[in-house]
Amino acid sequence: MAPPQGQMRPGRQLAVLGGIFVVLYLLVFFSGGASGGWKDRLEPRLGLDLVGGTRLTLEATNTLDGRAPTAENLERARQIIESRVNAYGVAEAEVVTEGDRNIVISLPGENRDLNEVGSAAELRFRKVLKIADGSGAIPAPAPTESAEATPSGTPSPSGSASPTPDAEASASPSAGGQGGGAPTPTPSETPAATPPPAASEEPVPQSVEEQRRAVEQKVGAEAWAAASALQAPADLSADPSLADKLKPFAELSGREVAVLPAQMQFNVPTIGCAQLDDRPPASISDPEQQVVACEGGYAKNLLDVAKVLGTDVSDANAVRDQTSQWVVSLNFTGSGQEKWTGLTREAFNNEGQACDASALGDEGKCRVAVVLDNEIISSPQIQGVLTGNSQITGNFTNAEASELAGYLSYGALPVTFEAQEQQNVTATLGASHLRAGLLAAGIGMLLVIIYSFFYYRLLGSVIFLSLILSALLLFGAMVVLGRQIGFTLTLAGIAGIIVSLGVAADSFVIYFERLKDEIREGRTPRSAVPRAWVRARRTIISANAITIMSAVVLYIVSVGTVKGFAFALGLATVLDLLVVFLFRHPIMTMFARTRAFLSPRVSGLGRALPARSEQAPPRNQRVKEA
Amino acid sequence: MAETGLAARLYRGEAGLNIVGRRKVWFTVAALLVLIALGSVIFRGFSLGIEFAGGNSFQVPTSVGTMERAETGAAEALTSAGDGARVVTAQQVGGGGGGEFYELRTTQLDAEQAEAVRVEMGRIFNVDPAEIASNRVSEAWGSQVTNRALLGLVIFLALVTVYLVLRFEWQMAAAAIFALVMNLVLTSGIYSIVGFEVTPSTIIGLLTILGFALYDVVVVFDKVQENTRGITANNNQTYGEAANLAVNQSLMRSINTSVVALLPVGGILFIGAGLLGAGTLKDLGLVLFVGMAMAFLTSITLATPLLAVLKNRDPRIQAHNKRVQTRRATVTRGETPARPGAPRPAERAEEPVAAEAGALAAAAAPKVGARPAGKRAAGGRGGRPGGGSRPGGGKRR
Repeated sequence: MAPPQGQMRPGRQLAVLGGIFVVLYLLVFFSGGASGGWKDRLEPRLGLDLVGGTRLTLEATNTLDGRAPTAENLERARQIIESRVNAYGVAEAEVVTEGDRNIVISLPGENRDLNEVGSAAELRFRKVLKIADGSGAIPAPAPTESAEATPSGTPSPSGSASPTPDAEASASPSAGGQGGGAPTPTPSETPAATPPPAASEEPVPQSVEEQRRAVEQKVGAEAWAAASALQAPADLSADPSLADKLKPFAELSGREVAVLPAQMQFNVPTIGCAQLDDRPPASISDPEQQVVACEGGYAKNLLDVAKVLGTDVSDANAVRDQTSQWVVSLNFTGSGQEKWTGLTREAFNNEGQACDASALGDEGKCRVAVVLDNEIISSPQIQGVLTGNSQITGNFTNAEASELAGYLSYGALPVTFEAQEQQNVTATLGASHLRAGLLAAGIGMLLVIIYSFFYYRLLGSVIFLSLILSALLLFGAMVVLGRQIGFTLTLAGIAGIIVSLGVAADSFVIYFERLKDEIREGRTPRSAVPRAWVRARRTIISANAITIMSAVVLYIVSVGTVKGFAFALGLATVLDLLVVFLFRHPIMTMFARTRAFLSPRVSGLGRALPARSEQAPPRNQRVKEA
Repeated sequence: MAETGLAARLYRGEAGLNIVGRRKVWFTVAALLVLIALGSVIFRGFSLGIEFAGGNSFQVPTSVGTMERAETGAAEALTSAGDGARVVTAQQVGGGGGGEFYELRTTQLDAEQAEAVRVEMGRIFNVDPAEIASNRVSEAWGSQVTNRALLGLVIFLALVTVYLVLRFEWQMAAAAIFALVMNLVLTSGIYSIVGFEVTPSTIIGLLTILGFALYDVVVVFDKVQENTRGITANNNQTYGEAANLAVNQSLMRSINTSVVALLPVGGILFIGAGLLGAGTLKDLGLVLFVGMAMAFLTSITLATPLLAVLKNRDPRIQAHNKRVQTRRATVTRGETPARPGAPRPAERAEEPVAAEAGALAAAAAPKVGARPAGKRAAGGRGGRPGGGSRPGGGKRR
């Protein structure tokens, strides 16, 4: 029979659906990345909450004002973190950016400690100007913080890596020209009375100003005045009254200390290294500022502006030198080398006597501190003007040298991070999550099928079949997408799929209820099918469009597990539309031609017909007239 | 006769419930509930999960012994490695057949401490630390998720409004969005009153409900639109009556849609809460369950009545309603059919059916030409000898 226009050709649509299936499953078995036995090829990628593993979400906390980093910087940071994770030798690690300020690291399999991965921040090379005691102790026992409190999120590789006296940088090729006594301006050293305009180039200087005022109020005007008046680290044992005045500074948190001018941080003896190490990660990243940082948790260093940045380092490796000592060799980029040479010249000659006696090394040369985050990880004494690649020597073990080299080469993160969420899921727990998720999905599907058989009788079998088809399509799509775009199925994703079950079944309800409407209006089931389809189609499309819209919006803006949920929901809804158009309608058209369909007992449609005795004829009449 | 039973009438879409007519009741009830909900949100607030307060949780296999043992062990580990943190709650959760766990929640530890505590616990309990699952969230995490969710909400509302205006008309868009907002408010109210824990998963779920609430409304409005197409062409029905009829006709659809959507979510909830005890599945399942149930109610009782109110302000609809009423006044039967809520189901059933036939005929008429499918259907109608299957249907119940 040649169907009229608008009437579907069921065979053709079913063939299209069959074609989609064939292509999809060919992709499943033979597309790029498919490997292993048949069974392996059928495995979708499972999220680590289903197989166990570690997930760490890092949030970029770039500046004190909390703006998001640029996409470029975030991507660069992601690459750096990825190479760092891979340096653990972990296979299948996944590092992705999420939203405009998150980086998510997922390591399926065993649990790992990922603390260092995101902690490393911006690397700076700064000349050490002065050193003071950083214990924060005052003669009278006061400070609440114990010196050993470790700063949050920042591992302290400092202690072991480089005991200051030993660590020294030596020029490997030659200690080139040592001349060049050009007076390099290190201005801020002399007029210490006026606090340098710290943080003035922060995009929102007011906020820093305001924070500083808040701190001023907290410590009290007297303490503030006393601290501002200090020209050098105060000797509290000589002046007990000053100790009393400055006491309130010991109570400040790391965050509060961070907004103080560098001179004040350095000069006020009641500000200890514990507080300084506790400052938020990006506090001293500004290369244009003098800063204060601690080494090993006890020596408080006043550091010059950063003349060389982490981005100037092209490479750093742990190598053995001639005496088979472990050293760290450093290579710089073209412009970085110039800066480094300039910095080493300054330090070697102690130009302008910028370095205080307290900060000079054994041989009277300035030291250059390698600053990462808020801490000094190494402060070698400069032993020459370095024009080529350089080495940092010291009593390093292999591991220590590798660690320092790692920080130097990857440490140039343009963005600083704080860990927001860390999940360690054991394999057992993951497996039980997976079981529970599948069980929930199974129960949900079963309930829907029972309900539809109960309510729609034989038509329930159409629902049953298309749910099976949807499930198969979805499964194939997940396997392929897992391989192609790295889609991983998580527990939230399973929840999304279960919710989409409801959506899929809903489109039946709309269609079948519509069908009943048509039959109620007096059409035969056979003629009702195409009419009901035309009308239900509209509703189904608009309803599904809304679900898809919400899934897309959720996927784009959300973070964390929400993304997996939204993706699964959206994918399942799209596939449901496919099944509706290519399976359900054609099958109903074919079904409508069978005798069984005409039996209300079988199709469940009969109950739609009004139990008419006296009512039926007049109603019929009207319909006809109309 | 059985056919007059509510269930049977529901089944046939002839329940004759006066939903639009009683809109004052619904609006009053809704306003009261909103007041209660808002009051509770303002004065009681929510009980926020650790994702908002910041904190850690550790999952220790039950093989370590009793819960007390787990708790004291954890406390011990916290003292030695946790720097003043303490155990906040401890509970046993099932593993969905994969072993059971004690979940211990603690105050906030930083990443290093958390790791140290995990290792220390492994030592104390004499299990491989890899067997101890842990979670650590900073207090900023919850707010980041929430901010994102709010952003999503705003974008979604904007998109969906545009879509609804294009797809339907602005009154429908307004009514749908109103029902949606009510749904959100009431769901949060329930959360606040009952004291369910709010986690980021809850917020995701809440966003998903948006889609669902609208889904329901779209189904009903679709029917309303169909019933009221060309309504001004004849004088049988006011807009409100037509809308009410549409609600009744799609009531069964709405119920089925909601039941079918709720069943799988119930599955999630059952597994999530019953077997896993806590976590993503439970949080999602709960909020979806509550929200979808709300979505069903608001789409029926609030969206359509509000639509009628909005439409009745339209001058054309106003004029039409007046004409219908004057016509009815002249017809003067014993009872004014203008009050469709009259509790006389048998007769009521008759009236809208007649009207429906008219309306549908009007709606169908242009379609015959417009859609080839209609042409064929019309042909089928001509050849139909009164519907071959009808007598069988008549026998049922």
